[in-house]
Amino acid sequence: MIKMEGINKCYRLGGENIHALSDVSFNVADGEYVAIIGPSGSGKSTLMNIIGCLDVQDSGSYKLAGTDTSKFSGRQLAKLRNTHIGFIFQGFNLLGRLNALENVELPLIYQGVRRKQRRQRAEEALSIVGLADRMKHRPSQLSGGQQQRVAIARALVANPQIILADEPTGNLDTSTGAEIMDIFEKLNAEGKTIVLITHDTNIAARAQRSLSIVDGRIGFEAQEVM
Amino acid sequence: MQSIQMAFKSIMGNKMRSFLTMLGIIIGVVAVVVLVSIGQGANQSVSESIQKMGTNLLSVNINMRRNNPINLDRVNEMRRLEGVAQASPVSNSSGTLKAGLNQYEDGSIIATTPGYDVIRNYSLKYGRFITEPDVNNRSFVAVLGQEAAEELFGSLNVVGESFTWKGYPFTVVGVLNEIGTSMIGSGDNLIIIPYTVGERLFQRKGISSVYVSAMSADNVSIAQESLTSYMDRLMVGAYSSTKYNIYNQTTALKTLNTATNTLTLMLGGIAAISLLVGGIGIMNIMLVSVSERTREIGIRKAIGATRRNILSQFLVEALVLSLIGGLIGLGISVLATRLLEPALEMTLNISPSIAALSVGFSLSIGVIFGLYPANKASKLLPVIALRHE
Repeated sequence: MIKMEGINKCYRLGGENIHALSDVSFNVADGEYVAIIGPSGSGKSTLMNIIGCLDVQDSGSYKLAGTDTSKFSGRQLAKLRNTHIGFIFQGFNLLGRLNALENVELPLIYQGVRRKQRRQRAEEALSIVGLADRMKHRPSQLSGGQQQRVAIARALVANPQIILADEPTGNLDTSTGAEIMDIFEKLNAEGKTIVLITHDTNIAARAQRSLSIVDGRIGFEAQEVM
Repeated sequence: MQSIQMAFKSIMGNKMRSFLTMLGIIIGVVAVVVLVSIGQGANQSVSESIQKMGTNLLSVNINMRRNNPINLDRVNEMRRLEGVAQASPVSNSSGTLKAGLNQYEDGSIIATTPGYDVIRNYSLKYGRFITEPDVNNRSFVAVLGQEAAEELFGSLNVVGESFTWKGYPFTVVGVLNEIGTSMIGSGDNLIIIPYTVGERLFQRKGISSVYVSAMSADNVSIAQESLTSYMDRLMVGAYSSTKYNIYNQTTALKTLNTATNTLTLMLGGIAAISLLVGGIGIMNIMLVSVSERTREIGIRKAIGATRRNILSQFLVEALVLSLIGGLIGLGISVLATRLLEPALEMTLNISPSIAALSVGFSLSIGVIFGLYPANKASKLLPVIALRHE
């Protein structure tokens, strides 16, 4: 599903070049549940952004579902993000002016799905994450855990093959975090490929496999026994 | 379709920003439309009051004290010139009129000949105008304006009554219909007497001013030409052309039009400045909201919006806001001109071209500055747009 080879990425921060990723290579198979673990500043978010096509690598090749993304135009990348990837952010990134249902509908709007069908699919996605009774609430009227569930519903609604989660429990307390993690496991059981970023080893331990990243390099690869 | 829906959601979702943006447009449009219509209204009322005085009116002024060749016979000759309908000499004075215990000091005493009523479009309510025998016999008769009649006698039908001026008794032979006030003041304070009587009482010899009416407004220039050649023939010698001048209402109209056009232009300039200030207001609000919007754009891109999706949403948003603002502005302008009309005593019409221009201008400002941040942000990588806090 994900095939990365020799990925490099540099940032200029305050006049200094920061090597966020150097020569990163790894694969994620179809239907796998992988955790990427590393301390802050290790480059794990940069890696996640490249996987999610929110950012582009300086060099190296990245193949998603068999296609090389490096030659894609902005339009093609947008389509890829829309249909193949469901991205879940640490800070939820919901639109505050829209209610839960409208937030979840957004990816379908950009797909050109008709209103009636859009509504139905968004309602379904919200029921999956257990928010059927909160559809008309705005993000500010929801708790952190509920907001993250809306974000998960938004990631699911377009039925992508891959779910990418960047510290999804980072802003949540332990018990709500655990509920969110249960959702991921359920999704994985249904056949979704999941890549999750965390700095918490307990969370990483729940994945099938975890990759460690330190100073922009993949450190070790551990097969999870579960 | 989607972008229209999303634009409306965005407008309704941020009412304060939407309101402020529209306010800038509203102020700009109202300022331009109302100020320009006031300028044009002033222009129109000036033209109208001049036309009321008669567009076929000419006056000949003679600047000679000695050897003035113009006398009543010459004025009679002028009447027969090509394009000329009537000609009457005019001489003015003022003074205190007395009738019994009543005194009238605001009168304008005009000495003239029959025909002056035709030239000035005066009509009589009671009695008759000055006649040829009045002039020839130096009769002490007078035709009064309505204000003069009211002040002296307390009523209008005063034919046969008498008043004194400088100790001379005058008999009222006619009262004019109401003339009304024009730009040059009240027309109802006239006391018209025979020219020959005036010559004696004003102690002024010779004719220095002749009012002439052309056959029609189209004949004004023909009348002016024939008058000019007639006067040139009379005033032989050096500087003859400087010794008189002929003035016509059309020229006056043009001069005044130039003045009021300058006024319109000035008001338009002020209005344009307020439109610009309104535009800067729009610009400010649009640019201030850039960081919030950049994040929004980042989120939208992250879940699959293309640059075109983003731009069309913001374009519709800016268009709708500016258009609604422009229409509200026009509505307020219509209301304001209706309210100002009685206060300013002029007809105010909103010129469609000015309305279109001002709405178009605010529309383009709204669109340019609405799209500017959106365009900038939509070019960013999603990750960079998302990092905007």
